[in-house]
Amino acid sequence: MSRDAVIELFMTNAARAAAEPVRVADHEGFLAAVGQIVQDCPSVFCPEITEKERAALTAVQSECRELDYRKATVCIDEVLGAIAESGSIVCASDSGHPIQAGLLALHHVAIVPKENIYETLDEFFLKWKDSPPTNITLETGPSRTADIELTLTIGVHGPARLSIIVV
Amino acid sequence: MSASAQGIPFRANTIKALHDSALRAAMSNATETFAIKRADAVSAVPLEEWREHASSTRLQVLDNLSYYVDLFAKNATRAGAIVHRAKDAQGARDLIASILKDRGVERVVKSKSMVSEEIHLNDYLRREGITSVETDLGEYIIQVAGEGPSHIIVPAIHKNRRQVGELFAEKLRCEYSDDPMVLTAIAKKVLREEFLSAKAGFSGANFAAADSGSIVVFTNEGNGRMCTTLPPLHIALLSMEKMIPSLADLPTFMRLLPRSATGQILTSYTSIITGTRGPNESTGAKEMHIVILDNGRSQIVTGEYREMLKCIRCGACLNACPVYRSVGGHAYGATYPGPMGIVLTTLLDGMEKAHPLLDATTLCGACGDVCPVKVPLPRLLRRLREERVERGFTPTLEQQAMAGFGWAVKSGTLFSLGQKAAGVFLPIGSTLLKDGVLGRMPRPAAKTFTRRVS
Repeated sequence: MSRDAVIELFMTNAARAAAEPVRVADHEGFLAAVGQIVQDCPSVFCPEITEKERAALTAVQSECRELDYRKATVCIDEVLGAIAESGSIVCASDSGHPIQAGLLALHHVAIVPKENIYETLDEFFLKWKDSPPTNITLETGPSRTADIELTLTIGVHGPARLSIIVV
Repeated sequence: MSASAQGIPFRANTIKALHDSALRAAMSNATETFAIKRADAVSAVPLEEWREHASSTRLQVLDNLSYYVDLFAKNATRAGAIVHRAKDAQGARDLIASILKDRGVERVVKSKSMVSEEIHLNDYLRREGITSVETDLGEYIIQVAGEGPSHIIVPAIHKNRRQVGELFAEKLRCEYSDDPMVLTAIAKKVLREEFLSAKAGFSGANFAAADSGSIVVFTNEGNGRMCTTLPPLHIALLSMEKMIPSLADLPTFMRLLPRSATGQILTSYTSIITGTRGPNESTGAKEMHIVILDNGRSQIVTGEYREMLKCIRCGACLNACPVYRSVGGHAYGATYPGPMGIVLTTLLDGMEKAHPLLDATTLCGACGDVCPVKVPLPRLLRRLREERVERGFTPTLEQQAMAGFGWAVKSGTLFSLGQKAAGVFLPIGSTLLKDGVLGRMPRPAAKTFTRRVS
C-alpha cells in the first residue's frame, strides 16, 4: 500500500469511528487548522514538548492558554502516530507527554506526523518487542458508552470530540 | 446420592424473571441489538482465520500456563511493578486490602473487572473500611442500586432508562430525567471529582503480555484510563489465564474482542500498561501492584474442561443464548451468567452449588458458533450434564422417570402401549390443566412417527 493510500485509509477509518480528521499540506495550513479548531475555546492546554506543539500554540491566543491540564477544556498535543486499519491514534508516554491530558479535556486535538501512520495493528505492535513505554494508549474516536438501554452517548469520562490533524 | 442437594435456585429465579416484563423487554432489546451488531462487524472479515489463530494462541498459553505466568511476573517486576500471587479469593482480597490499608487509602476508584466480582472484592473492602467507587457507567448504576452485574460487558443491561432515572433521583438527589445523555452527565460529574481526588486506582485486565510484563485494558468510556493514570497507586487484579505470549499476539485479540462484544472495530481506548512511571515520563502510576489470581484455575487447566480457560469474556455467547435472552443474568445467581457462566461457575464453585444451572441450556449450539476463541461450549455443557447425571445431581422425579422410560423402551409392547396412552391422556390433561406445563405441551400426532415410517 502506498503512503498516500495508508493515510487515506486512516482518515476514512478515523472518521468512521466518529473522530474528526483533517489533513494539512504545509505549515500555514497547519496553523489555520489549529486556529479554526481552538477558536472561542477559553482554556487550551498544550505541553510544548515538540516543535509542532510549540508551533500550534502560536495559533492560540495567550489569554486562552492553560498550564494545568486538569483545568483545560481543550488539549492539543502531538501523538506518537496512528493506525490506518482501525482509525486509531497512538499516544505513548516515552516522549514525556502527560497522555492523560488528552483524556481529561472535553476536546482532544491530536497532531499526527504522517510518516508515523502504520497500516496495521501488527506492524505497530511488532515495533515494541518486549520493552514498551509505561503507557501506550490507542484512542479510537471519542469517549462513548451505551450502558443505558444501549443508547450511544458520546463523551462520558473522556473527550466528547477528537480532532486529528495529519501533517 | 443427594438428588436433594441444594444449589443455586435457578428455577425459582427464572420464574421471577419471566414475570418481569420490564426485564424481558430490556433483555430482548439489548441482546438482539448486540447480536445484530456483532454479525455486521464480522461479516466482511476473515473471521474463521482469526478465530483459529486466537484459539491456538490461547491453547499455547494453557499448555504452558505456569511458564507464561512466571515469565509475565518476571517482566512486570523488571518494569517496576510489584507482583503478588493469590491462591484463592480470600488470598486476593487480603492482599488488596492490606496494600490499601498499609498506605492509609480509604477510597479507591475502580474500573470494571469481572474477576473482582468473582472474589466479591467491593463487599470485603467495605467491611475493611475502604470505599471502592465503580466508575464504569453501568457498574456505577448497579453499585448505586446495590445490585450485581447481569452481563459481563453491559452490567446494567437489565435496567431501562426510567429505572436509572428514578434510581439517580432517589439516591443522588438530582432531578428526575430519563434522557441517557443527562443521566450520563450526572454520573460524569460525580465521578470526575472522585478521579481527581483518588489516592488509588483499581483495574482488571483484558490480557497480560508475558514477554513484556504489560497488562492490556479495553474501555470505551475512558474510566479505565483515569483509574490507571491519575492516582499515584494502581492495583491490577487478573486471573492467571489472561496471559498471551507477546504484544505481537495482541492485534488478533484486539480485532476479535470488541467485534464480538459490541460490534465495534475497536473500543475507544486500548491501554497497554507496563510497570511504573519512568524518569522521563509524565504518565503512569508511581507504584503498581499486580495480583495474579489462581482460584482453582491451575486445577481446571489440567482437566477435561480446560478449554473453558480460553475464554476472553466478550459476552457474545450471552447475547446468542436463548435462555440468557429470556431470563437475564441475575437468574443465574452467579458472577458469570450465560453459557460461559454455566461452565465456569460449575468449575469454580463445584457441581454441588452449580448443578441447577445446567438446566439453563437448550444445547442449541449458538454459543459455540459465536465464540471468538472457539471454546467448545456446547460440548462442555453436554459433558457437564452427563457428569451431573453420573454424580446424581438430577431431581429424584427426573431420575425415576428416566429409569422408567429406559425400562419401557426395551420392550416394544410396553413402548407402543405408552404411546397409545399418551395419545389418549395428554390432550385430556392439557385441556384440564391449561395453565400448567402440560397445557404448553404440543398435542401428540394422530399417527406416531414409527408407524408413519414403518
